[in-house]
Amino acid sequence: MFDLLTLGAPLFFTWQAVLLTAAGIVAGLFIGVLPGLGPLMGIVLMLPVAFHLPPIPAMGMLIAIYVGGSAGGSISAILLRIPGTPLAAATLFDGYPMAQKGRAQDAIGLSITSSAIGGLIGGLVLLFCSPLLAAFALRFGPPEYAAMALLGLLTIAVVSEGSTLKGLIAGGFGLALATMGTDEFTNAYRFTFGNFNLTSGPHIVPVVVGLFALSEVFFQIESGNFLASPNIQKLRVSFRALRLLAAHKVNLVRSALIGTLMGAIPGAGGDVSAFISYAVARRMARPGERYGEGAEGGVVATEAANNGCCGGALIPSLSLGIPGDASTAVLLAALFLLGFFPGPELFRYNADIAGGIFIAYLMGNIVLLVMGIVLVPFFGAVLKVPKAWLLPAVLLLSTMGTYALQNSVFDLWVMLVFGAIGYLLRRASYPLAPIIIGMILGPVLENNFRRSMLISRDGLNIFIERPISATILGLVAIMLVYAVFTILRGHLRHASVVNSE
Amino acid sequence: MNRVRMQTYDWIVWALFLVVPFVIFWQSATSLADQGVASGGPMENAAQFPRMVAWLLLGLSVLNGLRLGLNRISERSPLEPTPTTRLALVTSGGFLVYLLMLPYLGYHLSTPILISALLILFGLPAIASALGALVMSLMVAAVFEGLLNVVLPVGLFQISVFG
Repeated sequence: MFDLLTLGAPLFFTWQAVLLTAAGIVAGLFIGVLPGLGPLMGIVLMLPVAFHLPPIPAMGMLIAIYVGGSAGGSISAILLRIPGTPLAAATLFDGYPMAQKGRAQDAIGLSITSSAIGGLIGGLVLLFCSPLLAAFALRFGPPEYAAMALLGLLTIAVVSEGSTLKGLIAGGFGLALATMGTDEFTNAYRFTFGNFNLTSGPHIVPVVVGLFALSEVFFQIESGNFLASPNIQKLRVSFRALRLLAAHKVNLVRSALIGTLMGAIPGAGGDVSAFISYAVARRMARPGERYGEGAEGGVVATEAANNGCCGGALIPSLSLGIPGDASTAVLLAALFLLGFFPGPELFRYNADIAGGIFIAYLMGNIVLLVMGIVLVPFFGAVLKVPKAWLLPAVLLLSTMGTYALQNSVFDLWVMLVFGAIGYLLRRASYPLAPIIIGMILGPVLENNFRRSMLISRDGLNIFIERPISATILGLVAIMLVYAVFTILRGHLRHASVVNSE
Repeated sequence: MNRVRMQTYDWIVWALFLVVPFVIFWQSATSLADQGVASGGPMENAAQFPRMVAWLLLGLSVLNGLRLGLNRISERSPLEPTPTTRLALVTSGGFLVYLLMLPYLGYHLSTPILISALLILFGLPAIASALGALVMSLMVAAVFEGLLNVVLPVGLFQISVFG
């Protein structure tokens, strides 16, 4: 564990990495503050920029945006009753009533400090668990990796928001996209339609930017209110929240651990962990605490959980290459683009990179603690920026970021096509995350499946003859049963509603 | 008919996903077969995994089609334009024209035009829009051209400010 930190320290403690991590926290906070945007959008917009940087400064910046963005969403929830991100939806239960009682300063301070310390706790668990999980994964062969990829994809598809069936279809679509380009084993061109730009398949960055950023721009244009600017109460820099937080230390640690655990389960996500932590904190509240009416503990519970979740989501991502949510899927894509493969090999052959990423995550949370408090007066100003200025900026950054990746106008067309697809899918309530995760896990699944079939003397039985693979497939079977049960239950519920009508 | 209208987006996406497996089957039978990689063992058969994905997508799409056809879907997805849907379409059209013109006009000519047009469409005054568009374009160019050494599209006039 400490070996990793020792190896990673020289890579992280350079002016570029430290500066970009701090800049990432600031950018993440401001992006998180703005309703409609969020950590995922921040990572997506900066992904092409990261591609031009050395590995640790690039990952430091992206992870910092992830951390800062997860914390920033609470600020608009507290001030406007509009969560900046879905992660902060539970924060408004007590954050907004605190602001209404004239305690917006305390609520924001508590949310930032809880986020930072929750994130640090998540980081310590990440630091401890990831190498252990990676060491265990050294026993994995192709069948285990294929089974693991299948489990990861299925979990995201089943647990993600909306209909299970739609999640599965989106995951299948991601797998189909992943098969485009040159086949690794035969060097044959698959689904390139004679276009040389597709010989490596569609690049993941234009797909991600199109699906998430471009579709969001169109959604925001459709919702109007371009010049609206809300009234925000004046905020000052204050470290009082640290003193207030001391009264909630048990709640803080418990919520951070719940968040970390939930984050480590692919698909569970920060919003779920925030609601669970809130429910637990409410149940265990002292008699005088009035949850839902401005209780400090409510803000502490939700924010510690959703930032602890960031550390948790990085555990399966880094040690197994199975992303915990859409944001970590894009972080994994960034790691791939930078030339590193998450999983046991990362810890074995690039331990310095793994260590640098851990330090970046931990330092990001420390920077969040300081910058989050110092920048409080500016958050209100950012919230006042009308959408009319923001949307062209997002469009411009998306476009030039995507172009800069390979100096390719073709990538911009890919982005536009996936922007349209993303818009249609969101209108039809399809989750987008399974598509990206399908694209990332597709090659892992296919290559390991084909290798397994090559080494197998007994066809598909190789997957159930090996204990680890059989166990993982057992979990896959449970997920499938759950998926079928969910779909059937949805049908029965819908039928009963129709009958009663 | 009304039921179909209430699920318009669902039907569009259903059709989109239904096309994917057929494209995979068609390409496997033509392009991949022509390359000699549509059959054989796991190392030689590049069509095996895509076909498995295609069957999966087909099965799921049929199931989803049944749900839609039998109206067993709880969330509605009708084509309901908002007052600014037309603006979203105009923006999309403008962006399409921008992508077409980018290789010819280059970044430094086409981007300020697109951004200022968008700012004006979103209700900002013309002078503020023009100035804002210029500042935004130059800031992005400074980051990509100046800091990251990216050659942004120079167009026929070979314009590069920070490169």
